[in-house]
Amino acid sequence: MLKYVGKRIMYMILVFLIMSIVLFFLYNLIPGDPARAELEPIKNKITPEEYQYRYQLARQRLGLDDPMPVRYAKWMNGVLHGDLGMSSIYKAPVNQVIVNPMKITVFINIFSIIITLAITIPLGIFTAVKKNSIFDKSVQVLTIIGYSIPIFIIALLFIYLFAVKLGWFPVSGLNTPNFSGTAWEEFKDTMYHLALPLGVMTVGSLGGLTRYIRAAMIDSLSMDYIRTARAKGLKERVVIFSHAWRNALLPIITLLISWLMSVFAGSLVVERMFNLKGMGDFYISALVNQDYNVALAIQLFYIILALLGNLLSDLSYGIVDPRVRVNK
Amino acid sequence: MSKEKDQKKKRSPLLKMLFGGKGDLSIYEEELVQSPLRTIISNFRDNKVAMTGFIGFIIILLIVIIGPFIYPIDTSFSEVSQINVAPGLDMMDVPKQLQGNIKQISIGPTFSVGISNDGEVFIWGKTRISSALDVANIPEDMGKIVQVSAGFDHIIFLNEDGKLFFSGNNRQRQCSPPYEVENLTNIKQIEAGYQSSIVVTEDGYVYYFGNSMNNDYNEMNPYQGQIDKIVTTADGVIGLTKSGEVVYLGNQQNAYTRFPENMGKIVDIGTTASTVAAVNEDGKVFVWGNISTKGEGKPPVLEEKIVSIQGGRYHYTALTENGKIVSWGANNYKQSEVPSELKDVKIVNYYTDYYQNYAIDENGNLHTWGLKGYVFGTDELGRDILSRLINGGRMSVFIGAVAVVISTIIGIIVGSISGFVGGKVDTVLQRISEMVASLPFLPFAMILSSLIGNALTSNQRIFMIMVILGLLSWPGLQRLVRAQILSIREQEYVTAAKSVGIKQSSIIFKHILPNVVSVIIVSATLDFATSMLTEATLSYLGFGVQPPQPTWGNMLYGANNSIVIQNYWWRWVFASIILGVCVICINLIGDGLRDAIDPKSQER
Repeated sequence: MLKYVGKRIMYMILVFLIMSIVLFFLYNLIPGDPARAELEPIKNKITPEEYQYRYQLARQRLGLDDPMPVRYAKWMNGVLHGDLGMSSIYKAPVNQVIVNPMKITVFINIFSIIITLAITIPLGIFTAVKKNSIFDKSVQVLTIIGYSIPIFIIALLFIYLFAVKLGWFPVSGLNTPNFSGTAWEEFKDTMYHLALPLGVMTVGSLGGLTRYIRAAMIDSLSMDYIRTARAKGLKERVVIFSHAWRNALLPIITLLISWLMSVFAGSLVVERMFNLKGMGDFYISALVNQDYNVALAIQLFYIILALLGNLLSDLSYGIVDPRVRVNK
Repeated sequence: MSKEKDQKKKRSPLLKMLFGGKGDLSIYEEELVQSPLRTIISNFRDNKVAMTGFIGFIIILLIVIIGPFIYPIDTSFSEVSQINVAPGLDMMDVPKQLQGNIKQISIGPTFSVGISNDGEVFIWGKTRISSALDVANIPEDMGKIVQVSAGFDHIIFLNEDGKLFFSGNNRQRQCSPPYEVENLTNIKQIEAGYQSSIVVTEDGYVYYFGNSMNNDYNEMNPYQGQIDKIVTTADGVIGLTKSGEVVYLGNQQNAYTRFPENMGKIVDIGTTASTVAAVNEDGKVFVWGNISTKGEGKPPVLEEKIVSIQGGRYHYTALTENGKIVSWGANNYKQSEVPSELKDVKIVNYYTDYYQNYAIDENGNLHTWGLKGYVFGTDELGRDILSRLINGGRMSVFIGAVAVVISTIIGIIVGSISGFVGGKVDTVLQRISEMVASLPFLPFAMILSSLIGNALTSNQRIFMIMVILGLLSWPGLQRLVRAQILSIREQEYVTAAKSVGIKQSSIIFKHILPNVVSVIIVSATLDFATSMLTEATLSYLGFGVQPPQPTWGNMLYGANNSIVIQNYWWRWVFASIILGVCVICINLIGDGLRDAIDPKSQER
């Protein structure tokens, strides 16, 4: 088992390195001279000779004349030591700038994942058990619509309905401006502001997930051991939850992990639309404003997240399904 | 049971063709043995939901393929007078009570105002100018109105006592006449221009109020006291003096002041947004100003004399001495295409402005031609949403299709090599595939698009989006193909093919691949839907296809604020609906195909 985990982690690191190389070289394709950009504000205050001197100094300091591999090694060294470079917009180190957005994104995503799972798992199981009932059929239709509509259209509809027409929820922000109160009140205020985005994210991922859970559940309900369990006279509840559901979990976990990644990517759109200053919104602003150090850092975060997800899904097989021998 | 049978019999042949439905076999008949492909097709046709999706998609496909030929798109088009017009085709729907009783009609960009012989006011068309303003909110107790004039976003009314009333936008104080104007009793003509109002008195004096930055008007002009008629372009004021001379009432020397020579005595003048036209005693038309390529500078040569002229936004309409109407200039809304029914009737009166024309014949019948309105409204640059939907649809579908073709080709090649060759090659290919699959799709597509896209032209950019989508979405299909091939590889006919010495590549592509085609088709269909969604999301965020080239995604780009969501709902609703419907249809087809190919999955 340990050997397997070690192998997976080595592989993860390899993939991470390859991806960082690809990103780094893409990043260096962009025309532009950071040294010149750095000196731009004081260009008019100093003599041309001094400018030239400082420019050469800056080039040397930033290592712009080094060959590509050396520059990559320097950059990677910095990344591994937690130095992600400077943000050109915020004039601060990227790893400081990025902390707050990351908190917000993780907060939103964890909430939306909990809500979504709380809805889809019971719904998926129920529709599988009551297969072909009217309820099942209508859920089927709704889920097809749900996963066919892009999340920004769902968001537009939600805003139109709940914020513009009914006026129940605010459209943007995380808190009421200048909010003060106890921690609990602040949490309530935040949740009130997050109601719409969380609703949108939940509805957006409801469709595909419910369908998948239902299919996995139906597969496992049609197995022989279920018939055996029923024949033994077990209660239907026991049959469904401990016999069928345990076995349906395996394919579901694979999907869940890849879904977790897509939730983070999906929250990018939602954050943008509801003006939540999370990673996604930050990422888009960075790309639009050509603040590539920030964009690169966030991209690396997304990749690490994805790789961790893959590792988790591989490891969880062993936990959920003893048949899968992970130490092969 | 018997009821069900009856219903089956009632089905029309067309429905049967589309939705299938097996005829009942008599006891002596035997069901024909079918090839797998036929079984798939008939299974698919029996699936009503999938078939509905299929028909829906075919309809959308036909619309977006044929539509652009009927509604060609001009990506550089923008029209400030047609911004954010609500859907509807009622811009020329003259109210019933007014018909046959028209005293005057005045035309604004999207609305028209008319007065009856009794002095009653009627306003029709799209009267909402902004969320708060509606030109149809006219003052009460105006009395008997004798003259109206519709401007860019306001209307002036003149009643029989010589009092002025206004409705619409007052931001440039175009609806707030100065003191001396309010006390005038001898008003002869009122003219509402672009954010400006002009009043001409019987004794030839001109009073101007409203936007004085955009419009060039000199209050101290030397022609005060001689003016007979005033017309406005989008930025200038032109007058006709009582002695039949055309004069420019502004300070500047510009295209309007370059009067043609030897015009003689002028009887009527008219203007478009940027040109002036004058008709002289001999019925000859002169046009000058900033003449565009739309053709307003080329009046047709006629045998009859022209007696009066009026200008629209980019076209002119004129009346001849025998009551014939001629129109020339821009024809993008068919505003200079005089209906053929007008050939045989004598026109006594006509009104032209912006994109509409109203003509009244000697029997009092009303004829209209020009812009009726927009089925789906217009966007923030005045572009017709219908034509953008159609042209954008072609782009969206095309991008999705090419992306799927790219990803399918890569998926098939990698999957089949990986599955068939196995060993080290398999390991390496699977690792690469895992790597691509583990990339967070949307963020990565965005960073690629913004890193590479900066230096590209718009067409290259579209191509780049297709390639990015294709390059990032093949791993799923690859895995499917590989799994299928792994299972087929061990079957006897492959062993047989190997043993007679057939080349590996032809075993893969001729013997094995045909057996996995069905899986590939299903996966490609579902990928098609996903690609379209991803393209829409990218374009919506501003990282995909850039405007002015429309796609369904970037048409929603500007929709992300509550003002648009609330007041200009047509700007996002229609694009959302058609995108949603199209993707739903494709997904239904994909699901239906999967069910048809793998009957086991039907139980799900």
